[in-house]
Amino acid sequence: MKMKRIAALGVSAMMAASVLTACGGPGSSTPASTPASGSTGGSTGEEITLKVATWDNTSNPSVQNAVDAFMAANPNIKVELMDIPSADYTTKLTTMLNGGADMDAFFVKDADTTKSLADKGQLADLTEYISADGVDLAAYNGLAENFNYDGKQYGLPARTDYYVMFYNKDMFDAKGMEYPSNDWTWADFEEMAKQLTGDGKYGAFIHTWQACVMNWAVQDGKHTIMDYETGYDFFKPYYEMVLRMQDEGSIQSYGELKSANIHYSGPFAQGTVGMMPMGTWYMATIIEAVKNGESTVNWGVATIPHPEGVEAGWTVGSATPMCINANTDKKDAAWELVKFVTGEEGAAEYAKVGAIPGRADDAAIAEIAAMEGMPEGTAEALKVTNISLDRPIVDKVADVNQMLGEQHSLIMLEQDTIDNVLASMAEQAEAIING
Amino acid sequence: MTTQKTQKKAKGLSLNTRNTLVGMTFILPNFIGFLTFTLVPVVFSFILSFMKWDGFNEMQFVAFNNFAKIFKDPNFRNSLVLTLEYTVFTVLFSMAAALSLAILLNNKLRFVNFFRSAIFFPYVASIVAVGCVWKAMFMKNGGVVNALLGVFLPDSALPGWLADVDWALPAVIIVSVWKNMGYFMIIYLAALQDIPYSLYEAAEIDGATKWQQFRRITFPMLTPSHFFVLMMLIINSFKVFDLIFMLTEGGPGTATQLLSMYIYNKSFISWDYGVASAAAMILFLIVGGITLIQFRVEKKFNDFM
Amino acid sequence: MIEKKQNPVVRALLYVLLIVLTMITLLPLVWMLSASLKLDSEVFTIPIKWIPETFHWDNYLRVWQKIPFGLFTFNSAKLTVIITIIQVFTCSFAAYGFTKCHFRGRDTLFLCYVATIAIPWQIYMLPQYSMMQKFGLVDTHLGYIMLQAFAAFGVFLLRQFYQSIPNELLEAARIDGLSEYGIYGRIVLPLSKPALTTLTIFTFVTVWNDFMGPMIYFNSESNKTIPLGIRMFLGQYSTSYELIMAASVLSLIPIFLLYVPCQRFFVQGIATSGLKG
Repeated sequence: MKMKRIAALGVSAMMAASVLTACGGPGSSTPASTPASGSTGGSTGEEITLKVATWDNTSNPSVQNAVDAFMAANPNIKVELMDIPSADYTTKLTTMLNGGADMDAFFVKDADTTKSLADKGQLADLTEYISADGVDLAAYNGLAENFNYDGKQYGLPARTDYYVMFYNKDMFDAKGMEYPSNDWTWADFEEMAKQLTGDGKYGAFIHTWQACVMNWAVQDGKHTIMDYETGYDFFKPYYEMVLRMQDEGSIQSYGELKSANIHYSGPFAQGTVGMMPMGTWYMATIIEAVKNGESTVNWGVATIPHPEGVEAGWTVGSATPMCINANTDKKDAAWELVKFVTGEEGAAEYAKVGAIPGRADDAAIAEIAAMEGMPEGTAEALKVTNISLDRPIVDKVADVNQMLGEQHSLIMLEQDTIDNVLASMAEQAEAIING
Repeated sequence: MTTQKTQKKAKGLSLNTRNTLVGMTFILPNFIGFLTFTLVPVVFSFILSFMKWDGFNEMQFVAFNNFAKIFKDPNFRNSLVLTLEYTVFTVLFSMAAALSLAILLNNKLRFVNFFRSAIFFPYVASIVAVGCVWKAMFMKNGGVVNALLGVFLPDSALPGWLADVDWALPAVIIVSVWKNMGYFMIIYLAALQDIPYSLYEAAEIDGATKWQQFRRITFPMLTPSHFFVLMMLIINSFKVFDLIFMLTEGGPGTATQLLSMYIYNKSFISWDYGVASAAAMILFLIVGGITLIQFRVEKKFNDFM
Repeated sequence: MIEKKQNPVVRALLYVLLIVLTMITLLPLVWMLSASLKLDSEVFTIPIKWIPETFHWDNYLRVWQKIPFGLFTFNSAKLTVIITIIQVFTCSFAAYGFTKCHFRGRDTLFLCYVATIAIPWQIYMLPQYSMMQKFGLVDTHLGYIMLQAFAAFGVFLLRQFYQSIPNELLEAARIDGLSEYGIYGRIVLPLSKPALTTLTIFTFVTVWNDFMGPMIYFNSESNKTIPLGIRMFLGQYSTSYELIMAASVLSLIPIFLLYVPCQRFFVQGIATSGLKG
């Protein structure tokens, strides 16, 4: 027992030394740990194993690739990924953190829970590491601030995703319509969807998540889903729009999508819908589906429509932070991993498979857009001027979001009027926030 | 005889201790495991219902605050009522279905084993797959259930099932009856075979009709099984979680948010373990109360026999 | 058994009724089987095609390619068998103690058992996990076996049955000089075959289909079970219903193989041990 601990200490001391050398290197934010760790491996032969939680690892290669690259660069650190089904990720992560599980680092699936985790003291404070290694937080395009509470940085954004519009070029061609531009409004979207509908095809696809309606109401950055004082009247125009589209048949109804267990990736890949507002994470999936012949859809991507009176280029999204378990005794090694995955090399690995890294710059976007299978115009579509958070990172947001989800289904299934449900949302949100 | 008597006398003083020791040896193998892995965590969660706890940091004693909180919460009251509704109907229909099937399949028939297996099978099928399948079968337009009902009912009278706040709970009850009836049928089937045939012969001679035979012989002779099936169904219904999670996730709105779902949300979304434990305590009191009543009734029945 | 000769019309009606009932019961399972042979895009078409246009047997192959299904099956089988054996054995022992042995504190102890039955697992999952973590039993099969094998429910179930064994029978055996262990082994155990069978089926199916337990406790791929494998197809980035269905059908096969030959024994084994007759 003791021996091991001492050896581990030795390794971490050496790790720290390698970190120091890295900092000494002028103008480079890449860790120079490769030569240092080479000697570590040679002299002690002691390996550190990091356990890292992630979800849906098999269908999302970015994490695996970044971790593989990290292990290649740091032969003395082994990373074991724990693959957890996405639907159960938050439950399991909560249990593991509370139960003192042997886990060193993890990704937070719902970024809005990061603050609660930090408040509970479950996240390691990275501030000192960041300043010691000279990590430039400005590289994260303002995303890093979301994980900074009371001046302490608790996580770094590994990837970011925001909503864009996927569309089916063949369906536009068949109707002789022009493809959506990157500067269009939700009214344009509704109109186009109407025109595209026909021949057993739907003009658009609105997935069953409440986000696929509510997001457009918070896109302008003026409101968040916590603003119950307004009676949630800012949701109203979008619920009216979606219900109209549902009645006219330009989107498949919520009820059918729910009961037929329809996953958003299905109809679009089968070419039966004209447009689908969806997160950028879907790009990698659809490229893969086209590549292996599961889908023949001729797709394009445009910037998400904006509300009337809002500048083009404003969208909604979120970030996936990588954090370190406050209780781990391998903090130094875990930091090396976090630094790598959220750093330039990790970003490059993410970009290679079509995932937008948290530190995305023009070059990274260009690289993603140039990927094989990516349609023309992707670079322009992905260029956004503002990303409003889908859910603000504040207390009780998870409860409010859960409640909104329940109420959302009542509107979409037309079990009650929009006004009644919005009033009930406001009432319940008030009880949750002030209760 | 005399030797035995003296033996008993010799050990007479320590009879109590000896009985305890013997009893303990029977119970211990199970009890040690049970104590460590179940009882300790459960007792801990009892204590929790009087605490405020986020699952990680220090707890605070808040006395009955958590209980006051849940009784003020309309969602809790809603889920309590729904749980009672669900339990009453699931128990009644499952028992009725299981008993009728058992009586039907107690006849000498060709392929009787095939029929029994077929009815039993839903019980073993994976809940993830079954959830997806039933969701699709309950579709308002084009679903199998409504297609079958459409033969007897006009289109306008067809329910929306899982997409309708009033029909979602009945739909869930149907699925749970479908899933459970096979298991309880087997239990009834076994008990039916224990009823001496001579009783029916005697009834036949007395000119009793089939229905009278059922009421006077079959049903009362099955009383121990009724007690058992009832108890199992009640306990399982109060705790049902997976099925709801797969079928409706508590929706639409909160139309199928049963107590277990409420508890789950309070633990894993709100991270309010005190409130979740308080809700579980209520659940415990209800089930405990029912168990006690059932014990009393059963004891009376046994004494009467 | 009702052996009276029946009216042929009644008999025919009985068959029709049974066939209809069986068909309704099996409908969702047929649905599952048919979906397991379709393309993902054909699974939820309206109206339903009961017979796929082309049979995609390769779905079953893809299940094996995407997840280590053989390993998962082995794990599921191993855990299920071990847990069922421990459960049935220790529970029947304990239930005898609770019904037929008299000692102080017995009923209080039993109340503890009953108390835990009513508590949903989600409530004590967290303290239990912390404890298992301290024991070093997280992500081990041993840990999961320990959690499942001593469930209070089994004791409760068997106690219910044992109560119907007349005490006079045991008293007579005691007078004949049989020890408590002898009574348990020679009289109670053979008599309780039906109850043991009931518990065996219950435990077997519960463990075989358990999802939450393995989800929380198993991290390594080498420990995972079939329900976790099935859940893996229900992902954030895409969902393959045809594979969920194929994997579910596959997971039914072992139970089917076990159930059909044992079926006669289940009911007959129960029947031969008439208690009250």
